[in-house]
Amino acid sequence: MTTSVSSLPAVEVSTYISDQPLDLVGLLAGAHHPLAGAVVLFSGDVRDNNLGKQVAYLEYEARATMAAKMIAEILDEAKRKWNLNIAVAQHRVGKVAVGESAVVVITATPHRREAYEANRYIIDRIKHEVPIWKCEFFTDGTKKWGGNCNCHELTGDPHKHIYEVEKETNQ
Amino acid sequence: MEVEVFALLKDYFDKKFIVPARLSDIESLKQHLLDLNPAAEQVLSSCRFAVEDEFVDHNYQLKENDYICIIPPSSGG
Repeated sequence: MTTSVSSLPAVEVSTYISDQPLDLVGLLAGAHHPLAGAVVLFSGDVRDNNLGKQVAYLEYEARATMAAKMIAEILDEAKRKWNLNIAVAQHRVGKVAVGESAVVVITATPHRREAYEANRYIIDRIKHEVPIWKCEFFTDGTKKWGGNCNCHELTGDPHKHIYEVEKETNQ
Repeated sequence: MEVEVFALLKDYFDKKFIVPARLSDIESLKQHLLDLNPAAEQVLSSCRFAVEDEFVDHNYQLKENDYICIIPPSSGG
């Protein structure tokens, strides 16, 4: 599936958004680069508990075309900022079981510091900005939308994330 | 103009629905949504609007064939 709704180059949605289990091993195998001495892989896995309740499974929904485009842009920006040799990110949609990976980010650079920093930057932005939503289904039969980005409750601004405020405070 | 909503907004509106062409901008669309379901006020206040997959602000002038997504705060990862 390719989107062409934007003036930006079309991106292959399935590269960034997948309704199938994420192939961490395969993605990692493809993320080695002769100039990169450091490869960092972050996997956001589904926990069996949240807010003191037992989680049965999660379901993710996305505006897939928009999410793919935004992830591509975030990766491009990180690549430029840290001179990454490789930057990969993929987010799962649909039902995701406990212990499975919901999102993966891989960064490869000559040295580890940049690989870690860029990886954290990419996952933070994906979690907070990209139109993907989590619904938690608990074992007691209840469900709850959201749960990760409640930044607006902390910052008082629906469009301001906590890490943006932290950045301002640190400057 | 067609609207698509996501995540918890689906508890307040149909997933996709047509809105009247007379709505001129995002602000009037928002008012229309509140008329449809006043209980959505708090949820809508934290949402952003996107047209053709690009975020737009409240002054954006709606066009006849616009496809509008209403985007709640993200909770990926």
